Amino acid sequence: MSAKQNTQEVTAYKPYSWQAILEFRAMWVLLALGLVLPFVISKPLATEIMIYALFALAFNLMLGHTGIISFGHAGYLGAGAYAGAMVVYYGGVGVWVSLLAAMAGGTVIAVLIGLLAVKRKGAYFAMISLAIAQMLYFLALSPFKRWTDGEDSLKLPPLSVDFPFHIDLSDQLSLYYFVFVIVALAVLVQWRILSSPFGHALKGIRENEDRIRACGFNITRIKFLSIVYSGLFSGLAGGLLAIYLGAASITILFWMTSGIVVMQTVLGGTHTFMGPFIGTAVFLYLRNAISNYTDRWEMWVGAMFMALILLFPEGIWGTVMQKIGERRRPSAS
Amino acid sequence: MPAPSYFEKEGVMELSWEIILMQVIMGLALGAIYVLLASGLSIIFGLLDVLNFAHGTFYMLGAYAMFTAISLCGNFWVGLVAAVVIVSLIGALFEMTLLKRLYGTDQIYPLLLCFGLGIFIPDIVKMIFGLIGKVVDYPSMLQGASFVGNLILPKYRIFLVVLMALVLLALYLFMKKTSIGMIIRAATRDRLMVNCLGINVSRVWTVGFMLGIGLAALAGAVAAPMVQTIPNMGDEMTVEAFVVVVIGGLGSLGGAALGGLILGQVVSFVSLLAPDWSNVSIFLTMALILVLRPRGLFGEEGRD
Repeated sequence: MSAKQNTQEVTAYKPYSWQAILEFRAMWVLLALGLVLPFVISKPLATEIMIYALFALAFNLMLGHTGIISFGHAGYLGAGAYAGAMVVYYGGVGVWVSLLAAMAGGTVIAVLIGLLAVKRKGAYFAMISLAIAQMLYFLALSPFKRWTDGEDSLKLPPLSVDFPFHIDLSDQLSLYYFVFVIVALAVLVQWRILSSPFGHALKGIRENEDRIRACGFNITRIKFLSIVYSGLFSGLAGGLLAIYLGAASITILFWMTSGIVVMQTVLGGTHTFMGPFIGTAVFLYLRNAISNYTDRWEMWVGAMFMALILLFPEGIWGTVMQKIGERRRPSAS
Repeated sequence: MPAPSYFEKEGVMELSWEIILMQVIMGLALGAIYVLLASGLSIIFGLLDVLNFAHGTFYMLGAYAMFTAISLCGNFWVGLVAAVVIVSLIGALFEMTLLKRLYGTDQIYPLLLCFGLGIFIPDIVKMIFGLIGKVVDYPSMLQGASFVGNLILPKYRIFLVVLMALVLLALYLFMKKTSIGMIIRAATRDRLMVNCLGINVSRVWTVGFMLGIGLAALAGAVAAPMVQTIPNMGDEMTVEAFVVVVIGGLGSLGGAALGGLILGQVVSFVSLLAPDWSNVSIFLTMALILVLRPRGLFGEEGRD
């Protein structure tokens, strides 16, 4: 390794590198903290943090790990929420089937966007994904009003799980632990995906696409899979969100949802695994706290986000990892 | 932005050629606004490699600057010029103080900075002007319509089409005939080489950014009398400007012009025939173009 390292090399983690080990430990610490979270902050906020953290992790599969800028994640989340809610509302099926439908919903939209735009780079992908998500918003708003109830969200009856044992989801604490277990499993699956050779190929594409192509990898196929995985987990988050809200609401599909997940992810650190999780927790906690004092939430979040981009582009967790890396460097090289 | 339709009647509607021609004019006027907006976006992207997520925000600022200037001086034309100048200067200030720091980093950071600005500014505007929409009047000489036989020609919309043509012509001449235009075109191709020739590229970028923002502000200022001027009016326009440049090919002025005109016609006719689908049709058009010609109508190979 050359003496002159750039920040990218410091934050990109390698198999069994100190970064990967640190991330792995951070993941278990955060999941352990998740067990006691509803006793520290309010239960609905804790549930929301878990759901959006899963969403942000799924989003970061594309942005942080593959380097694809997506502004259409509201589409995946919303498709998941509506698919999950509609099978319950019209089909009367149980919660597990609803979550499967939500994953399918997110995946279908991801495949659609992937087919249209997988070969487009950078800004182009951002624009196309944003446009497709806006299309879904307007579709749900008026032409498909008959099925989605348009601006009145599609409301669900109180739900409960009967398999493997009875869980009453209208109880806030049971709902939290139900969501927590699913999110924790999804986080572990994502960790597994990213530690696989496929996961390393994703990082390779982010760092140097041409070199990975020269190594004989099928870039288009790998990128497409990354989009599909992202859609799958976002859809799952959408299904959980519909259960948590007791409704599939049109605001989920609004472009602001895509913007918020971008901000949460960047706040935590895009070039890390657990960054989006941390970013989401901080973001939602702050939003909850600040909105008690002011109506001007958007102004503050906009200004703070601009400051973040200018001063700490690696985010909270990314900056911490960078600092640790700087301290380690003399002995590591 | 839904196209205003004069024919939103209940029941059966007869499609006479007057109605069709009328709708073409409506579409042209709407297309003119898209063209102004998207050409600004395209110039900024071509020159600075920055996807301006705050483009609709500057469009909104253009409309508000127009409102403020008109309520101060009372003249439409003075207001128009003042709006464009003021908003361009705001744009230049943003570029010189904040955006400039992020050149040379990953493409995503300037994009996200613009996105943050697009959340920040509408809230400031809400604080100053309130949530209730402001009304900008048509200039007295462009009110009403002229009649040619059975055909109604709304003056203001005709003016928009003429304005767009003049602006495009001026832009073309500026880019082809003036030395600064030539430098901008050269810097779009190869910024390093232009820098090596001893030209202060950083200043060229500021000028290019101002030009793009000025076009967005002009679009907002001339759209103000036709639409409701509210703090969030720009959000949808950002997305629609994206659609126009995806259709036309990013970084191509001709593409932005053709894409804007196509989109104007699509919105105009779909809102006549199937109003529910007017917003969706924009994105379906984009998807169709992407399937048929992935790099956009005038997109260059390798510039994706």
